[in-house]
Formats: sequence, structure tokens, C-alpha cells
Amino acid sequence: MSRVLVAMSGGVDSSVAAALLVEAGHEVVGVTMKTFCYSETPDSGKTCCGLDGIVDARRVATALDIPHYVFDVEEDFTRDVIDDFVREYARGRTPNPCVRCNSNTKFRDLLRRGEALGCDRIATGHYVRIEHHDDGSSLLRGLDGGKDQSYFLWGLPREMLPKLLFPLGDLTKREVRERARALELATAEKPESQEICFVPTGDYRDLLAKKLPEPHPALRPGPIVRTDGTVVGEHDGYAGFTVGQRRGLGGGFTEPLFVLEVRPTTREVVVGTRDELRRDQVEVAELNWLADAPGEGDRVAVQMRYRAPAVPATVRARGEALVLELDEGYPAITPGQSAVVFDGARVLGGGRIVEARVAAAV
Amino acid sequence: MNPVYLDHAATTPVRPEVREAMAPFADSVFGNPSSQHRWGREASAALENARADAAAALGARNAEVYFVRGGTEADNLAVCGACRALAAATDGGRPRLLVSAIEHHAVLHVAESMAEAGEAQLEIFPVREDGSLDLDPIRSALADGPALVSCMWVNNETGIVLPVEDLSRLALEADAILHTDAVQAVGKLPVDLGAVEGIHLLTVSGHKIYGPKGTGLLFVRRGVGLAPLLHGGGQERKLRPGTEDVAGAVGLAAALRLAVDEREAEAARLTALRERLEARLTDELEGVVVAGASARRAPHVANMGFEGIDPTMLLINLDLEGIAASGASACQSGSGKGSHVIEALYGAANGRAHVRFSLGHLSDEENVSRAADKIVEVVRRLRGAA
Repeated sequence: MSRVLVAMSGGVDSSVAAALLVEAGHEVVGVTMKTFCYSETPDSGKTCCGLDGIVDARRVATALDIPHYVFDVEEDFTRDVIDDFVREYARGRTPNPCVRCNSNTKFRDLLRRGEALGCDRIATGHYVRIEHHDDGSSLLRGLDGGKDQSYFLWGLPREMLPKLLFPLGDLTKREVRERARALELATAEKPESQEICFVPTGDYRDLLAKKLPEPHPALRPGPIVRTDGTVVGEHDGYAGFTVGQRRGLGGGFTEPLFVLEVRPTTREVVVGTRDELRRDQVEVAELNWLADAPGEGDRVAVQMRYRAPAVPATVRARGEALVLELDEGYPAITPGQSAVVFDGARVLGGGRIVEARVAAAV
Repeated sequence: MNPVYLDHAATTPVRPEVREAMAPFADSVFGNPSSQHRWGREASAALENARADAAAALGARNAEVYFVRGGTEADNLAVCGACRALAAATDGGRPRLLVSAIEHHAVLHVAESMAEAGEAQLEIFPVREDGSLDLDPIRSALADGPALVSCMWVNNETGIVLPVEDLSRLALEADAILHTDAVQAVGKLPVDLGAVEGIHLLTVSGHKIYGPKGTGLLFVRRGVGLAPLLHGGGQERKLRPGTEDVAGAVGLAAALRLAVDEREAEAARLTALRERLEARLTDELEGVVVAGASARRAPHVANMGFEGIDPTMLLINLDLEGIAASGASACQSGSGKGSHVIEALYGAANGRAHVRFSLGHLSDEENVSRAADKIVEVVRRLRGAA
């Protein structure tokens, strides 16, 4: 049996992933990545360094009788994930930090250190499946549609795929909890984590205020306008806005209004109706492919937010950037978010949304 | 392969004689030493016998031994307590506090917090790679009003022996107080407080010498003033209130007595094992140094620096092979920070992975030699992969 390095966050999913690998007879080595030091945040009663996660992972690993280590990736994580997160909001876009972490930090580090520890395989508790064939490996959606996390993994280095194991891909969240209870794992009843791990307050604007030079335009008041330029209100910093977000403007407007666009240069937040939000062409950059890239004219499905369904589209151009034409107009295409390209359940690849347009004549 | 424990400087198992000595105090002899009745008297007699044993082992008087709850507590009590007593004796002046750059954090961080609170004027003095000190600046600092010097006897990360006897002479000349953290020195070097008059305060920890964790003592030479950190009952002559841990004191005293009795033979045995380990690694591998090679060192610690590899990966690989060692001292290794001791001796980025192998009762020729095989193999593999 092979030696497997499993990333353990201290949550129930990765705990069960580790347990399943042990059951399958692998020699398992658990690691927790220390990404962020909570002690530097002004608020919290939380102890240093996501210590709760580290401590829980250690308790589970010890119960499973496997070694467990802590990898300090704080420096890389700050540079590749947190700084990018701040920069993206400053540009009026809405980043996916978990995608950045998976693409740039977590898996690369696991692979590098796994090699130094003589591990043949790397495993995590993501709800995705991977199939290994002689001619390569395919990343597929997890079977539990409600938990599928393939949206977050399009940025993995393709050459890594043959080394990956995802023990939870065929399971539902309910089954994972049941396994954790049956095994009496210390993390069996731990609630889902929802917040971004480096924003323990839940309000990312606190982090921006700390990280951006003051006074930064992204955090200064600016006008809220309609597409025709009419000013309809004032906002307290465009960094607080995400394209597609519903924006309450108080009295006078019968129709619900949505954020259509964030314009950093003028600090304008443009709002409009749901109809005005629809776009049918999306440009995607910073591409990464986990399979052979689709060509012009190919039919694909594209997912543009976590938990949203993939929608049918045609590849219109492919080079540095990918242009996809959607079969139907789609609301809320948010620059900075990931666009993940699927062929059925298989992840072909993805990139970051640069821009959404209305194709040709309107 | 059978695992090899080479981390005795982090902690040691309680030895059977100690466990046996402690056994009655869990339930059958359970009284509170402060009680007057039979149960209390029995407990208090045991406590005072332990104190007498510990004092004899150190060459101290019984009344100079204060039982506390570990080495860190003893260090805190010594540094804060002596500074505050000096301040009180000089009408609230700020005493000078001189500590070496390679102290354990139980001294270094306490000293820094005293300085931050405005309770002391802190000066940190350097230590040379060969373990020697530049005594002249220390001498002139001591001439300048009331002062406390705190300097460990044996450095926990490298085993380097510091010239505490020299400092004790300076302290006597200047009428300053000298504290020494002797946690890694007792049972390894001769420690005779009757003979070294200039040591005023000395820290001992139980779990480093095959005694129970959470036990320690502070030697306080007669006549030295100390302000308590805790307030409560009158236990330990008001210096450490709280119902005494009789079992712990008995265990500590038993461990200390055995460590001192067996010191000479055990030190010779460990020195031979350590020298063999160091020789094998330096002979069989390129780019390996022994930290403090030119210094006088305690018998049990070999701190080796390996060029061209990542220290964390080295330690994890050794653990996966069943070999327990440590990077920075164990208290720090969760924090991922580099060692302040190696930095103080060799500068910030010496590019080597420093690992501490520390020997003790669990070490013998066979397992140390087996560990050496594995260390050589792992270092070669990691260098090949890099």
C-alpha cells in the first residue's frame, strides 16, 4: 500500500477522509496547514493560528493512530491569497480566495512536502471524484450535488492529478457525518465552516481597511448611479459591492435593483433591474486546463458561481482568454469569480471572469 | 523498527523508583500538610523529608528550598520576585536586569515583560560560540546600582555550559543577585550550592530528571529577598501559597537525589554515546556541524546543523522513521519560528537545519547507532531530492 499525505483542516470532512484512507489500508500521514494567524486580528477571542483546527486535527489523527504535522504556509498564503483578495476588491472585482488557495498554495505545498516525505499520493476531504486512467486522470463533480466542490479545484496543476485521492467523492455529507459518528471522531458534530478563514469577523471590509493604504478609493463614499448616469444614492465604498448583489435603495423604487457594475476609476456603483443584469457573453482569463482544452465552436457547460448550476455555452474564441457565448442570458456574472468549464460531470478547466457582455446587437 | 527517543532534553519518563516513592500520596497519605491532625502531620512530615532530600542533593539548607509547580514557575518567581524585592529595597528604583541572549523563554520573556512594565532596566548580553562571555561589560553594568543577573547553567538547545561560577564571583564582588536556570544542569554537572556562594537563586525542574511533570523547586539563598507572585495561604513560607503537592514534591526530591547520586557514571556513559553519534554524523555526511563544538558542553545534548535541507522536513522524516528529536526547543517547535539560540550564536540565516538530539536513560549503544544509520539515510535522501 502507498503512503498518503492527507490534508486535515480539523473539520469533519477531512477527518473522515483520513479515516477512510486508514481503513483502505494506506499508510497515512496527516498534515494541517497553518495559513493565518488569528492573534493578529484585533477582535477575536480565537487563539493563535487557527489553533482550534490544528488541535482538532491532532486529536483525530491520534485517535486514528496516524502521525500528524503542521505545515506553516503563512508567508505563501499571505502573498498568494490574502494580498490577491485585497487587490481584487480594490479593482472592484469579487475574488474566490479558496480557489486561489487550492490553485497556488495548498496543493502545490502538499505535493512538494509530500514528495520530501516519501508520499506517493495526496488526499483531501473535498467532495469531488477523480478517475485515474492509463492516459491521464479526470476530475469529476462529487456525487452529492449539494456539496460538490469541483468549482474550487479548476486551478490545480494538471500534472498533479494522477497523484490525488478524494475519498469523499462518492459520499453525501450525511453519510460523512454518520461515518464520523460511528468512528466517534472528535470532530463528528463540528458545524460547517462558512466564513473565509482569514476573515474571522465575517466582514472582509475590516481586512481591506487594514491592508489598503489609507484613504483608499475602494473604501471611500461614491455615487450610486443608473446606466443613464442618474445618481440615485451614495455608497460608503465600492469594495462592499458585488455584481449581481441585490441593492436596497430605500423608498421610491418599486422594482428591486441589482448591482450591474463597479467602476473603480470613478468610484461609481451602477445599479439596474434584473433584466439589465443579463449578459450572454463572458470573457475568462488566467486559464488552467485539467483536460484537453475545448476548441472554437465546441459546446460546453460553464458554472460561474459556487452552488449555481452550469449553463450551456459555445466556445467563441480561445487564446490568452476564453470567450464563451451562453445559450441564454445569465444574471449576475461577477468579474473576479471563477468560471469553470465542464463536459458533463468532468471538469475541463477554468479561469477568472474578466468581463461579461451582451453579444452583438441588442 | 523500534522507535528511538532522542529527546530527553524535552522531557523524560518518570522512573520506577520515583513512581514508587510517590504512590502512597495519591490516596493513603492524602492529608493537607497545613492540618494539625494525624493526616496533616503525616503529609507535612513527608513534605519536609522531601525538602531535606532535595536540599542535601543540591548542597543547600532545607529552608532554602521552595517547592513550586515547574521550572517556568521557578524562573518567573526568581526574575520577577527578585526584581521587585530589589525595587522595594531601593524605594521603587528600577533595578538592572541582565540576562544572556540564549536564555530559555521562561527567563527571556519574563525579563522582557518586566522591562516593558517599567519594572527593570533590561540588558541582554551575548554568548560566544565557545560558550564564553565577555565579562567586562557585565562587571561595569553591575557596578551601577542594584542588579539581578539571570544566566542559565546549561543551554537547553545546545548543551553549552555557561560560566556561572565566573558570574557568581562578579555577583559577590558587586553585591548583585545571581539567578541560574539549572534545569538542564542538575544530574549532568556537579551542582553544589554550598561551594558556589555567589549563586543566590537556582531553578530545578522535575520532569527533565525522570520526575513528575508540573514539579520544580527554586533555591533561594538565605538572606535573599523575593516578592511572591501569588497571594493566598502561608505555604512555602508565603512565597508560593496554595496547598502543597506532596506527591509531586516527594517525586521531585526522589528524582533529584537519584540524578545526583548517579551523575558521574551516567554523565560518562552519555558523553561517550553523544561523541559517537556526533562522530558518525560528521564522518559520514558532508556539511554537518556540531553547535558549540568548541564549548564545554553537558553530556546529553548534541545539536547538529545540516546544510541544504529544510529543518521541518528533516524532523518529520525522522519521526516517520521512528526517531524523536527536536528543532528549536520543544516549547517553540509548534510555532514554526527559528531558534533564538542558534540565531544568537550563528546569526539569523546560517542556512542549516539545526536538530537537537538529546540522550538519556532510554539511550544505549544499539539504539543510538541505529538512529545514526537512519539520520544519515534521511539526510542523504532529502539532499538527493532537493
